Amino acid sequence: MSWVTIIWSMAASASLTLAAMHLLVWCRKRAAWVNLLFALTAIATAGVAACELWMMHSETPREFGTALRWLHVPGWLVVVSLVGFVWVYLRSGRLWLAWAACVLRTLSLILDFLFTPNLNYREITTVRHIRYLGESVSVGEGVLNPWMLISQAGLALLVVFTVDATITAWRRGSRRPALWLGGAIVFFTLASTVQIVLVIWEVARTPLTPSLFFLGIVAVMGYELSRDVLRAAQLSADLRESEERMTLAAEAAGFGVWMWSIPGNHIWGSERWLRLFGFVPGAAVTFEEVIQRIHPDDRELVEREVRYAVEQRVVYAGEFRVILPDGTQRWIAARGRMGPDTLGNPARMLGAAIDITDRKQSELRIEAQRNELAHLSRATLLGELGGSLAHELNQPLTAMVNNAAAGRRFIAKGHTDPQKLDALLEAVVVDGRRAGDILRGIRDMIRKDEDVRKPLDLNAALAEILRLVRPDALGRHCTLVREFDSGLGAVNANRVQLQQVFLNLIMNAMEAMDLKPAETRRIIVRTERPAEGEVRVSVRDFGDGLPPGEPEKVFAPFFSMKRSGMGLGLTIARSIVEAHGGRITAANAEGGGACFSFSLPTLPEDGATVPDSPRSGGGPAA
Amino acid sequence: MKKLTTHAAQSVTRPAPGAPPLVFIVDDDASVRRSLGNLLESGDYAVETFGSASEFLERAAYPGPSCLVLDVRLPGLDGLGLQRHLAERGRGEQIVFITGHGDIPMGIQAMKRGAVDFLPKPFGDDQLLDAVERALARSAEAVRARAELEAIRTRLATLTPREFEVFRLVIAGLLNKQIGAELGAALRTIKIHRSRLLRKLGVVSVAELTRLAQKAGVEPAPPLGR
Repeated sequence: MSWVTIIWSMAASASLTLAAMHLLVWCRKRAAWVNLLFALTAIATAGVAACELWMMHSETPREFGTALRWLHVPGWLVVVSLVGFVWVYLRSGRLWLAWAACVLRTLSLILDFLFTPNLNYREITTVRHIRYLGESVSVGEGVLNPWMLISQAGLALLVVFTVDATITAWRRGSRRPALWLGGAIVFFTLASTVQIVLVIWEVARTPLTPSLFFLGIVAVMGYELSRDVLRAAQLSADLRESEERMTLAAEAAGFGVWMWSIPGNHIWGSERWLRLFGFVPGAAVTFEEVIQRIHPDDRELVEREVRYAVEQRVVYAGEFRVILPDGTQRWIAARGRMGPDTLGNPARMLGAAIDITDRKQSELRIEAQRNELAHLSRATLLGELGGSLAHELNQPLTAMVNNAAAGRRFIAKGHTDPQKLDALLEAVVVDGRRAGDILRGIRDMIRKDEDVRKPLDLNAALAEILRLVRPDALGRHCTLVREFDSGLGAVNANRVQLQQVFLNLIMNAMEAMDLKPAETRRIIVRTERPAEGEVRVSVRDFGDGLPPGEPEKVFAPFFSMKRSGMGLGLTIARSIVEAHGGRITAANAEGGGACFSFSLPTLPEDGATVPDSPRSGGGPAA
Repeated sequence: MKKLTTHAAQSVTRPAPGAPPLVFIVDDDASVRRSLGNLLESGDYAVETFGSASEFLERAAYPGPSCLVLDVRLPGLDGLGLQRHLAERGRGEQIVFITGHGDIPMGIQAMKRGAVDFLPKPFGDDQLLDAVERALARSAEAVRARAELEAIRTRLATLTPREFEVFRLVIAGLLNKQIGAELGAALRTIKIHRSRLLRKLGVVSVAELTRLAQKAGVEPAPPLGR
């Protein structure tokens, strides 16, 4: 085995090994174009080395010419892949230069196969044997082909393109890769070009060895890429460390941390998280197992919301109850976000959870107290409205009695026209229903409500109250002016409690005008959408208005402007509105009188992801 | 004399005692309104319904016997307001109030102002029909009285000023001779005046003449200045 064979075989196999490694990287990670281009450069270098070996061992001018012709194929690939590599790796360079180098090289490859024997020679006369590395190798001699300058020009353009790209990258600040990679390509390409020129013009008496120069480029490229791999490894180690630190910090703050690998459906949880859900430390659990721990009433909602957060790539946030294996119940607030893989598919969901049982219990206690108070004040309100309610109920009853009596009289007189009697009976049925509706409304208001929030048509709920107070308003000679926005959108609310707030405002407004001249007694009730996702209800009277100074004082407990008032109505109204995530305000209106208004958040238009939590408002939690 | 003519002009429609009785219903609640209509129809009354006081006032006053079934609480002008309004314009509709609110002071006020009845809802059918019947009877009587008055006034209007003076002195109880002295006229002249005015007014005795004067609101001549 000769040195030439050993060196060239080793160069080729080293290149191929590197190529294989990086090709594998690219196969696993298709976005890693740098690795693919590097692999192509390395493969081409191996090809160049093989062709050189073929040339050095050729016996006839014909064989030498063929070998040199084929050398241009890997040579072309070297230039093209290098251009690509610089473009992708340094993320700089002029596109037209890149194209020019590639096109020139491609042109020279085409010409190479059009000329005989190849691009470099018009005719190879003899093959001489010279001593090289202690061995006899073949060197061609003959008439040179001037067209070969095209291939040299291609190499020159590669150098120009690389220099330009290197300078840009250098200026941009990525100095190290620019210097090493750009420097190596420029240096070795120039060196190779010089050697080719010297050999072809028979100044130097050595065989053509561009592969050795390309090998230098490949070595530098490989070194740079492996540095990247090292850096990535270091980064991921750092990341792991910071993740561990974060987990520690979260655990110390009382949070449990979890990560759900979605494709494998495996949930890793920190020790605290596992304990929150009643799993043993170190347990590997699936999503379904976690869902099974959730209270049956909350289960479906949590699952739906998590799946929605995964699909829509939004943050999941929810509060739910968990039943531990020993039967105890615990409130948990959880939050999480989906992380996609490189192709954008759901890969994992990361999140944290915390025990909020104490907070929730006190919240529920406060809510129960608020409901109790609300119920009491509602009963009081209805008491004030008693006469009006009786009147409202009296109307359909009167109509029923009249119609029934009329029917009996017709029959007694022998006027038994079935159509006439049917119309009377139908009227009785309609009025009976109306009386029932009124009774139901009153019963709802009086009953202690279980706190249910449902999507609600606010206008309809307000209209019911306006109907109840109408007789009272008539008795007080007060006109109710209704200005409703018909496109209001639904709110998620407790109907009875919102009606109570509204009733309270209406009653206050009417009482505020009792001492005013009858013709000025007017209440304007308006609903509107002041902003996206918000509705506002305002009740404006034409009374004396609020005391100057702080109009908000009217919401304070035991503040009353009436002779017979506890001063709790508005306090309760405010607590109801705020429990619904809204705001209630009081101000003096322009042109006299007071204006009370409350605003509430609306439900999202589609309504598909309505948080309908059984007890809580379903708002996002920590 | 002047006073009489203005009175006559104020009554918008001439009373028509022969016209059929008619019941008006004013209630803002549509189903109550319709049911009242049905009930009154079953009692063989002709009915017209209205949703508010102003709607009712748009209708021309009915000359025949009529009754108004009126809700106390109405948007705009309420029941008591309408009662006052009609009274101020000298209209003879007899009113039966109905109310969802057994408000006693209000009822007293309404009755004082001449309402026929004040019925709290819901009421028995007999109660309402009975009240309506009474109201119509009262109204018919009033219409008849007004018609008679109209007739008397028409006849009074045919008297000459001199005859009217004689008329007032006759009902003051003066003898022809005293009237002649009072007016500075011959006894014979007074006699002619007297027989003419008796003829014009369609009466034969001084007693009848006195009753007519009372009905028409004609006062006897002032006591003698001498």
